[in-house]
Amino acid sequence: MTDLARSGSRTSDPADRPKIVRLHPFGLDGARTGPISLATALLLLAAWFLATHFRLVPPLFLPTPQEVATQFLAVVEDGYAGATLWEHLSASLFRIFSAAVIAASLGIPLGLAMGLNRWAKGVFDTPIEFYWPLPPLAYLPLMIIWLGIGEVSKIVLLTLAMFAPVCLSAQAGVRSLPIERVNAALSLGAGRWQLFRTIVLPSALPEILTGLRIGIGVGWSTLVAAELIAATRGIGFMIMSASHFLATDVVFVGIGIIAAFAFAFSYGMRLLEAWLVPWKGKS
Amino acid sequence: MLQVRNASVFFSARDGRVVHALDRASLDIDANSIVVALGASGCGKSTLLNAIAGFLPLSEGSITLDGQPVASPGADRGVVFQKDTLLPWSSVADNVALGLRFAGVPGRERRERAEELLGLVGLESFADAFPHELSGGMRQRVGIARALATDPKILLMDEPFGALDSLTREQMQELLIDVWARTGKRIFFITHSIEEALFLGTTVVVMSPRPGRIVAHFDVDFVRRFAAERDVRAILSAPEFADLYDEIRSLVHRPQAEAESRRMVLQ
Repeated sequence: MTDLARSGSRTSDPADRPKIVRLHPFGLDGARTGPISLATALLLLAAWFLATHFRLVPPLFLPTPQEVATQFLAVVEDGYAGATLWEHLSASLFRIFSAAVIAASLGIPLGLAMGLNRWAKGVFDTPIEFYWPLPPLAYLPLMIIWLGIGEVSKIVLLTLAMFAPVCLSAQAGVRSLPIERVNAALSLGAGRWQLFRTIVLPSALPEILTGLRIGIGVGWSTLVAAELIAATRGIGFMIMSASHFLATDVVFVGIGIIAAFAFAFSYGMRLLEAWLVPWKGKS
Repeated sequence: MLQVRNASVFFSARDGRVVHALDRASLDIDANSIVVALGASGCGKSTLLNAIAGFLPLSEGSITLDGQPVASPGADRGVVFQKDTLLPWSSVADNVALGLRFAGVPGRERRERAEELLGLVGLESFADAFPHELSGGMRQRVGIARALATDPKILLMDEPFGALDSLTREQMQELLIDVWARTGKRIFFITHSIEEALFLGTTVVVMSPRPGRIVAHFDVDFVRRFAAERDVRAILSAPEFADLYDEIRSLVHRPQAEAESRRMVLQ
């Protein structure tokens, strides 16, 4: 009787909660890292602030946070190098988006075809494997010679950089399709197109989205290279131009803007993934 | 009637040797019967099922369903796999109705039929759940409902309860008998459990490995008795059940024992 009363009180009284245990985890196992990341960011900011405050680094190399903030407001207000911040930003976003749309609309179907068809794989495997490890800066001169210094060469350069991860991930998506799932669909009477539409495509979708996320990341990191080509607009151009005048604060502003947008895109892709493939990792 | 005649299958092993997976197997599956293929791993029972399903061509022999030769997979043969093959992005009802969707049945009709079949397997309240929210046994029930949705002439079941715990497995066996008694579907069922074979089969074919072949046929009536009386314990404790169990057990183990004795002679 007393035991029963005690066990009853043990679950109801929070102060007397039993010790909750679980199996020892390995690796991260879903542990929360957000607060640590936030603390790291604050620490880095503090280090920057202190380093500039005590002039540990010459201001030409490392501007103070205040200078960067002031310069950011100045660029927002007056623009930079004869164009407003919005014109720089929209020029860069237009290039990245055009390239992403082209890379996805070519890379996804081609990757799927290469995962499904011997001829597609055989024909396209060599050129893609050959070009994709090349750094975009290496073929940049060719782009200029072949395509001139207009928008085309910039968008083609970005497209080339984004295409490979998208195409390769679509292939990997097809490869990850279990044969039992295909057989199940066939024995339910699926035709070729139905098999592709209802089984192959959704099965490959998680991998395709991962490829797009990587592709857009690669796009941002190639942007500065693309805007080296005689551009007068663009965040990458802004950074390059500022560096010629040793305007490190403007360089910092540009880097900050690219980082913020790349982060926002990556986060948006994650949301898209959670919405489109909620089953990922659950089966 | 489903007829398998002198079906042989030869595979090529990775080292280039030829594996004789199925050797001149012949089998009839009549209306209203449950034929259970029983044997140790490597005896060719899954090979036989894959050939009937149309996933695998035969090296020799023939398979016909109501006189039509079987050449490729089709909705006239419903398959329930050992591993669950439900689509994780579709609801339970959509999974069940997948075959109807392929057949071009309109949405509302699909939904009605799916709900009807989910009722048959006791999952009527899970129509809008997703596969990852279900237990292993429930997923297999969805798999059975899905295979029945296109109203196939035969149900092919490849160790469907092999991955389930023994309690769930017993429930699933009884459920399958109910489904069979109500729909009258003929069933080809694969297992390596002698007890399951005797409990479910109207015919039990015992297979032996290397090369995979059918070594014995037994006509059994425990499943009909269960459908009529619903008394598991009476069946499992019946002396005829125990006798058949022992007889089949010795058959299943014999080739192994022979092989081992041969090895001992060689040494």
